[in-house]
Amino acid sequence: MKHATARALLLRLAAACGLLLGLGGTAQAQGPALPEPQGEVLLEIHGAIARTNAEGAARFDRAMLEALPRSQLDTHTSVTDGVHHFEGVLLRDLLEYVQADGSRVRATALNDYAIELDMDEFHRYDVLAAWAMDGRVLQPTDKGPLWIVYPRDAHPELQDIRYDYRWVWQLVRLDVQ
Amino acid sequence: MRRPRLRARLVVALPLLTIAVFFVLLIYSLVRLALTQHDMRLEAPHNNLLWVISQAQTSSLRLAGAVGQTALGTLEPGALARHHQVLVSRLALMDEGPQLRQLQALGYAGRLRDFRQDLPELARLLDRLRPGQVAVAAEIDALLAPLQQTLTQAATQAMVAEWDDLGDKLEASRAGLRQVIFFLVGLLLAGAALSVHLLQATRRARRQAYLLSRAKAFSERIVSSSAEAIIAIDLARRCTVCNEAAERLFGRPAHAVVGAPLQLVAPLFDVATVVRAMDRALAGELAVLHDQPFFRSADAPPRYLELRCAPIHSGTQIVGAIVMSFDTTEQRAAQREIAMHRDHLEELVQARTRELDAALARERQAAELYRNFGAMISHQFRTPLAIVDSALQRLMRHGGRLSEDEIRERSGRARDAVARLIGLIESTLDAARLDAGHMAVHGRVCQLAELAADACEQQRQQTPERQIVLDVPADGCPPVFCDPVQTDHILGNLLSNAARYAPPGTPLQVSLRRSGARVECAVGNHGALAEGVDPALLFERYYRGSDSRGHPGVGIGLYMARSLARLQGGELALQADTPGMVTFVLALPVADAATPAPPAPRLESAA
Repeated sequence: MKHATARALLLRLAAACGLLLGLGGTAQAQGPALPEPQGEVLLEIHGAIARTNAEGAARFDRAMLEALPRSQLDTHTSVTDGVHHFEGVLLRDLLEYVQADGSRVRATALNDYAIELDMDEFHRYDVLAAWAMDGRVLQPTDKGPLWIVYPRDAHPELQDIRYDYRWVWQLVRLDVQ
Repeated sequence: MRRPRLRARLVVALPLLTIAVFFVLLIYSLVRLALTQHDMRLEAPHNNLLWVISQAQTSSLRLAGAVGQTALGTLEPGALARHHQVLVSRLALMDEGPQLRQLQALGYAGRLRDFRQDLPELARLLDRLRPGQVAVAAEIDALLAPLQQTLTQAATQAMVAEWDDLGDKLEASRAGLRQVIFFLVGLLLAGAALSVHLLQATRRARRQAYLLSRAKAFSERIVSSSAEAIIAIDLARRCTVCNEAAERLFGRPAHAVVGAPLQLVAPLFDVATVVRAMDRALAGELAVLHDQPFFRSADAPPRYLELRCAPIHSGTQIVGAIVMSFDTTEQRAAQREIAMHRDHLEELVQARTRELDAALARERQAAELYRNFGAMISHQFRTPLAIVDSALQRLMRHGGRLSEDEIRERSGRARDAVARLIGLIESTLDAARLDAGHMAVHGRVCQLAELAADACEQQRQQTPERQIVLDVPADGCPPVFCDPVQTDHILGNLLSNAARYAPPGTPLQVSLRRSGARVECAVGNHGALAEGVDPALLFERYYRGSDSRGHPGVGIGLYMARSLARLQGGELALQADTPGMVTFVLALPVADAATPAPPAPRLESAA
């Protein structure tokens, strides 16, 4: 509870009602608030983050994601043929944007496929949360709305089945731990 | 000859061969392991197909469940669309990339693609689906049922293919590993062989090192216990070895000279000849120096060394020289002594030869003596015997007719002859006594003049016709020390000789005078020595001059006279400077009160 403030002290009795309520109160009081998503929500970030726009969560629509610093990456994948051009936001930028404070991230897909990732990796490699492949927006009926893409071609050590399972597609939720 | 060489070659070749085998096996094992390692790499898409199919199956089942819940009206809004999207996504995944190729290989790609053609129908039905519309839900189930069946069969096939593939791969890996194990066993054996060889080589090396060190210690012991002083030098002429004998000889301890320049061992090694000998030894020659003088210190007597300098070879190279020194001082001294002995011996031999020569001469002289004696006997004894014989013959022949006077006269003549014979025998015996040292001389103080006068008187009685002139100095003569009997004998002999050889009618001259520490008595007669008479031999025994024929005598008188004179410390000699006269001079020592009477010298042997 490092974000304890004068206000939090006043609300100490109310804090007994629930941890999340207290957290939400302090988090919102911290960094600049996130804008409310206007369109369909593509991604939710939960857990130890400072910037939110919902109760304990940061919710992103396409416009918000595209407003973040864009990154591009050309690489093979383990489930497709040939080199593909990916476009999206670096995971480290995204987590920094929401002021995440943790070491691990749990990535969950539409079909409830869930994998835990080390946040260190995002600094070691340019790991992308891609929303477009070869100039076309990724659709939920394919690998969309977001696909975690590792720079497989640039780093041979990433050409390993232990990295292949980290390529989470149909990504819809991140939990910072 | 062949066998050891073959053996030696084997000793070298076998380990090399083993090492080659070792490395070949090692490399082969590494290659095999690398290949196996590469084969064991898992390809995600290849092995992921089962998962992909199962996920597709799951999504279709969940969609079917969601359809049922929708018909019942219990499903949250949006969930049906999400399950639909997931199924579509799954089918899309199986229709691309490696997944598609694997399904094609299994023979299911076509059927799944067929199902994708039903997707628009599925979407339309899902749109129409509202709670309570069980008929639509049944329609959707009917649409999904073949997909589920196909997916189940495909999963089975994928599983079978995957397991077959895995089995093959494992089989190949096992075979590879078996090979590697086989090679490792080979490696182990080769390693063991090499280890054994190494151990043996180590042991051999250690043994050789031990033998070498023993041989070295032995040779060092030999060097150190050698009686010769041994010094070794290197090419820079620094001392490398100095044995105990060298320490003693040069008076420097080994630890002080080993490593030091050779000149520091002893100044001897700075001498030009020794330096040259070292040069020759270091050039590969053997150099020997005999009797090299060596001074242990400035005031010490010189010692003499024999130096032998020889090169030390290492292979074909000369690495130094060895100097063996032997103290020959004693040998030299011994040799010199032997040489001296030899010289002395030669002297001895010469002296002995001289003695022998003298003895020979004496023997010859003795032989001569006896010959003279024989001649004298045969001559002197024959005449009186002839006289006796003729007198006796006459007496026998004319015994009765002879008068008494005639008989007396003849008998007298025979007796005279016999007396002469006795006299001859007496004088011969006298000479023998003289020679034997039995002639006694009783010296006392006498007046030579009186003795001379007595002798003259005796001679006058024997030969009354002969005049004898005795000349004594007016002031007289000092007394002499002599045996009066013997002196009288000498003077009688001289006078009878003089009377015998003097021409008839001439007087005999007897004169006395003092001469130094002696008193001389000269007895002379007119005439001269006969031709061929050697004055030096006059005093020899049995010598008779050529003019003595007809004169009786045995040639002993003068010999006896001189011997008797000498026995009394005097001398008898022939005076040479009296022309027309033959004069013998007897000299006798003056009896001096201050000087005691000289002891009678031993008579010399007849030399």
